[in-house]
Order: sequence, then structure tokens, then C-alpha cells
Amino acid sequence: MSMLSGIKVLEFSNGLVDLGGRMLREMGADVISVTSERASDRPHWRTLAWHHGKTRVTVPEGADLGQWALIDDADIVLDDRRPAHTSTLDELRAGRPGLIHVIARPYSASGPYHDRPASDLTLMAMSGLMTITGEPNKPPLRLPGEQAYALTGIQVATAALLALHVRRRTGQGQRVEVSAFQSAVLANYREAIMYEWTGRIGRRTGNQLVRGKSGVRQVWPCADGYVTWSMIDNPSMMRSMVAVMTERQVAGELADIDWEAILVADTPQDTIDRWQSVFGRFFATQTRAELGALSLERGWGLSVIKNLDDVRRDAHLLERYLFVPVRDEASGVETPLPGPLFHHTTADEPPARVLRKPVPVTASTRWGDL
Amino acid sequence: MTALQDINIADFSWVGAGPRATKDLADNGATVVKVESRKRLDLGRRSPPFAGDSSNADASAFFAQTNTSKYSVTINLSEPRGVEVAKSLIAWADVVVENFGPGFMDRIGLGYEELKRIKPEIILASVSVAGRTGPMAGFRGYGNSAAAHSGHAAMSGWPGHEPHMPPFAYGDVIAPMFATVAILGALEERARTGQGQHLDISQIEPMVHVLADLYAEADEPEKPGNGDPVMSPHNVYPTRDDDGWIAISVENDSQWQALCRAFDQPNQAVDARFASAESRRNNSTELDEWLSDLTRQHTAETLAADLCRAGVPAAPVLNGKTLFDDPELNRCGHFTTLDHPVLGASKMPTPPMQMSDTPSCVGRSPLLGEHTRLVLVDWLGMSPEQVETLQREEVLA
Repeated sequence: MSMLSGIKVLEFSNGLVDLGGRMLREMGADVISVTSERASDRPHWRTLAWHHGKTRVTVPEGADLGQWALIDDADIVLDDRRPAHTSTLDELRAGRPGLIHVIARPYSASGPYHDRPASDLTLMAMSGLMTITGEPNKPPLRLPGEQAYALTGIQVATAALLALHVRRRTGQGQRVEVSAFQSAVLANYREAIMYEWTGRIGRRTGNQLVRGKSGVRQVWPCADGYVTWSMIDNPSMMRSMVAVMTERQVAGELADIDWEAILVADTPQDTIDRWQSVFGRFFATQTRAELGALSLERGWGLSVIKNLDDVRRDAHLLERYLFVPVRDEASGVETPLPGPLFHHTTADEPPARVLRKPVPVTASTRWGDL
Repeated sequence: MTALQDINIADFSWVGAGPRATKDLADNGATVVKVESRKRLDLGRRSPPFAGDSSNADASAFFAQTNTSKYSVTINLSEPRGVEVAKSLIAWADVVVENFGPGFMDRIGLGYEELKRIKPEIILASVSVAGRTGPMAGFRGYGNSAAAHSGHAAMSGWPGHEPHMPPFAYGDVIAPMFATVAILGALEERARTGQGQHLDISQIEPMVHVLADLYAEADEPEKPGNGDPVMSPHNVYPTRDDDGWIAISVENDSQWQALCRAFDQPNQAVDARFASAESRRNNSTELDEWLSDLTRQHTAETLAADLCRAGVPAAPVLNGKTLFDDPELNRCGHFTTLDHPVLGASKMPTPPMQMSDTPSCVGRSPLLGEHTRLVLVDWLGMSPEQVETLQREEVLA
């Protein structure tokens, strides 16, 4: 028994709904993913990442989905057909009052950009996050992976679950339209509001975190890699780090500072730079493991910057069973991928950890046939 | 009718990682009571930008946009009598949300076992940097910590350069979204089984999930920058506006032909160096230089509109001002203007979805302790005298 045991989800995947369907599958829903022609152009690893555990099917080009038996059986349809097949949208729900139809689009159907094509990159550009990501003397930069698609996918899962909650109360399904543009902008909690209240437009500042009069460094080299930490207005954290540096006789002038009386945002940049050089010399003598252990023990808020392989082998994540081996049915190859979304105290039946081969279906194929 | 009109939430969370989840739920109709204290002010109320005096606990626009549609009560949880009041609120609630440091809820007598004793079917959602179990369970950190521990920081930035930390806490965005999904899943399970549960949402794990495609690559991927393993061109190009840039991604050869036609460059369409996606990727430096020379002649918005009309995905790189003024965000209700007693009329973000039968309903954020009397007297049945006494004695403070 899982959270969504017995819930049937039919997914027309094309990037925007993929993570949403994957989340619902991880929570126990039975998910059938219809592979589109466009999706087949996507790299195999993206299919592996977002579609493992689902039943994958292909449909004939131009099929009239309104008459499909699979839709008769479904509780939820996640729909990312681009451009949206508006002529069939109403047909999907006709005669199926309990069906929840979640449509994800790049932009609002009623907005000025409704007919614009989009990709993850163009949606990220519109999010306002790229303009502040990267170096001051280089072009705006996106985040790794496909974050606009991921943000939309999580909203798709949220939309489906909200509508499911309503259906449990009223017996009625409904249509929910999710905007990828708005999903990406919602992740940007700072730029529009800063402009509204201060008139300031955020720019790229590299690894400097600029607050008030001064900027503080966020990324530091250490003996065998990088760590992240910033001088922020948290006196107990600052005292804790300087105490260790004092024990090791490397604190210099930092040992005499009353951190309760300091407001970093109001401290002149040359003073910040001088203090940071002392911290920098200390970090350079320590390994990532040494700094990580001290941070955990003393509450510094410092984090080791880990590459993907470090993360896969991380003792903490291993103990929490984050990565699970996923077998590709076509090749037999197993790949460790993130599995559980969160921990919880009720019993769970995890989905099969396999990427299934897609199978062709027809209008008369029913859920139980697959 | 709203989607969650039948759900009550006692919200002990603060700053960003918890409140963004309860905002999602409140904007969709859940009754969310935010438990705050003047003795331990939500740092969100201390976060810029401010309307006027930054020492005014109700003047933070950051707090206002993170806490729309909620109620606020002040309860001093360091007082045993305050904890007893909190227990009454928990008995009223379907869901309790917290993002305190590990062990805090247990220390004040509000751990999951105690919550279950108060209400057996309660759902408790705990959000933390590293989760409640494992060697790092006690880790004190921030949203940026999750970027370091998940691989985001290592994979961000330009290829060949040091790791990059953008100036926003992406972990404080992703984790509460997972918390919202977890809570809604737990409500569905409770509706079916009658059982509550404790949800343990780490900030690191959702951040790993949204990089699953990179983890699925057979070989350890290099930092992608703005590149893509399939699409080309796939980058950001300068335009003639001030710090103006346009993102262009060409998904296939027919879009490439369309792009060449849009720029009136028929020779490039047949140039062997750029004939296929693979050859365009192999000659990306020349391709980007050629395209940059063309994009510099246009403004970002005009060019994006022209390329989109030609069927090529393109978009201007928006900044705070252009986001604030964007016609779609304003016309389609992403920003709604709400009147606030301290901030005045100000724009607040709404859920990025339109529900046909149960639309969201976004209200302004609460003033500190604004609803203490309403919640404790009218909803929980305490006497007005009792509330006044507890307020005077700084238990409700």
C-alpha cells in the first residue's frame, strides 16, 4: 500500500509533465506514459531519468484519443502535447465527469505568448534567474539540468493531487492548466520584488553574494576541492568558526572582533576583503572532509561542494537509500538514480526499478491489458 | 469553492523552506495558521526589501510574498503554557508543518509521538537541510547548502571554471514544492486509510531529484554551461538593448532552416559546417559568433517574437524590471495586486495553474499576531479573558 495506490495516471509526456508523472509513480500511482514522436528525439538518459517505473506505450500517429479505452480507465491525464491539441481537449473529458485533466503548456493559453514555441532554455531565460546567474563579464547562464521542465513537472503533480482531493469530496474531476513560464518565474522569489520596492535590477555577480554595501564570497578553494560558506550576520556561527581558528593560532585579527556588534551588510568592502583573506588562508590548509566534519560538529553552516560521483557515494544519502539501481529493460544495464522523494512513516511499496521498453497500444487497449 | 477548503494547517515553519509549502496550500484554500513569536521573530520578517522602516515586523515584502493567504497567531513556545496553547491548535489541525532544527519539536514537547497522542490521524511535515535521519541529520545550514551537497554547485558555472553559487537559494524553492506534494499525498492516503504520518523532507534530496537526468548519463557529464547534448544552436546571444540577451534553442534541422530564413541567411542553411545538429555542435564556436553578429542588430523582445513566429524557440532574458512589467505575467494573473496595511498595494505571486472548478484565492499576508484572538477565542474556544491574561504575561507574544 502506498500513498496513491489504485490511482491510474495516463501521461502524454513531452518534457513538461515528465517529472510530475514520475513523482506520482514514486508515490504509488499506476502511470502509463505515452511516448511522443518528439520525445523519441530526446537523449536516452533523459528517458531513463524521468520514465523509470512507468508503463511506456506508443500510439499510432494522429490517433483520435477521445475514443481511447485507456482514457476511460484513467483517474488523471497529464497532457503535454505541443501545440496543445485544443480540438480534442474537451473531447477527453466528455462523458468522463470524474476525469482530472492536467494540461501543461509553455505559456498561458489566453496570454500574449500562447503560440510561442519554447524549450527549457527559453523558459529559464524568461524566469529572470539566468540574468543573475554567472559572471559579470559573461552572458547569462542557466542552471544545470532542465530546471524549467522540472519546476513545471512538480507543479503538475501538485495540480493533479489538488484536483484529486476535490474529487474525493465532490466526485467531480476538473481541468487544470499549468503554465511552465509561471512555474519558472515562481522560483524567482527575489528579482521582481526587489525591483518593485527598490528600483534595483539584479545583475550577475559571480560567486559574490551582494547584500547592502558589501559583497561576500560564497565559494572557497580548500586543500582538495571547494567548499561553500559566507560571512553572514550570524554571530554564533562566526564565533564558532573563529574559536577553532584561534585554537590553531590562525585567527589573526578575527579573534578580537565582537561579532554581535558587526553587521556584515554595513561593513566596508575592504574590511570584508581583509577578513575574508584570513578565512581563505585557513580553508586552504584543510581538506573537504576536515572542514565538513568541523561544520557538522560546530554548526558553521559550511558545506562541501560535491560532484555527482561524490553525491552518489555520499554516506548520508546511502543511509537514507536515496539512490536505487534502475535496470534498463532494453540493455540490461543498471544505473543508480534518485528513488524515494521523501521519507515517511507509513508503509510503502516502491515501484519496479526498471525502464520498460515501450509497447504499441490501440484504441481498444485497456489498463488491465498492459 | 477552493480545493483545500476543508483542510486546517498549523504552520510552525519560518523563513522560506516551510512557508513556501504552506503558501501553496493556503492560496488553494487551506486554513493556515502561522505560529509566530515576537520573542523569536521569523527571519523572513527581517528580510529585505522593506516598505519603509526595516525594524517594523510587518514591513518586509519578502515575508509578504512568502506568506500570502495565511493567519498569524503569536505563541511563545519557550513557555510551557504557550506549548499547551499550541497543542490546542494541533488538535484543530489536519496537518502540522515545521522546519526547526532537528530535535527542537521534541524538546518543547511537540514531537510526532506527542502529536499523535493529541490527534492520532495528524500529518506532520518536517523540512530540513539533510533530513531527520542519517549521519548529517543534525546539520545546520541553508538552502545554499543543498546546492553544494546535491551536485548543483559543482555542475553550475562555465565549463572549466570553479563551482558556481547563484545568489538565490534554489533549495529553499525546490524542497517546499516537494513538501506540498508530500502533504497532498498524505492527505489522499489519510482519506483512504484514516492514518496520518510523519513526512521527512530533506532539502538535499529534492535537489538531487531535479538533476536526475545528469545522474542518468552513462559517463560523468561535464558542466553543460548553456549547451545541450542534442540541440544546436542552444545558447544566449547579445542583443542591442542594455545588458540585452536572447536565448535561442534549435531543436531540429527544420527549425535551423527556419532560423536561417528568419535572418535572411540562405547560404548558412546549406553550409556543410552547420547542416546537421551534430556538425553545428562540432562547430559551435563559429556558429555562436555568426549568430551573435546577427542578434546584436535587434532588440531581444522583437527578435524573440520574430523567431517564435518562424517556429524557433527563442526568448529574451528577463530581469527584475522586465519580469515585473511582463504583459503575460500581469494579464494572466501571475501577479495579483493586494492591499496590505503596511505595504499598501503590492504585487504578489499566485499559483502557476488555473483550476477550472476550484480556482485559487490569494489573500494578503498577515500582520504579526493579527489573528491571535480570532483563532484562539472564536475558533478554539478559549475565553477572551484567558487570552488577554496570556498576552499580558507574554505567553502569547
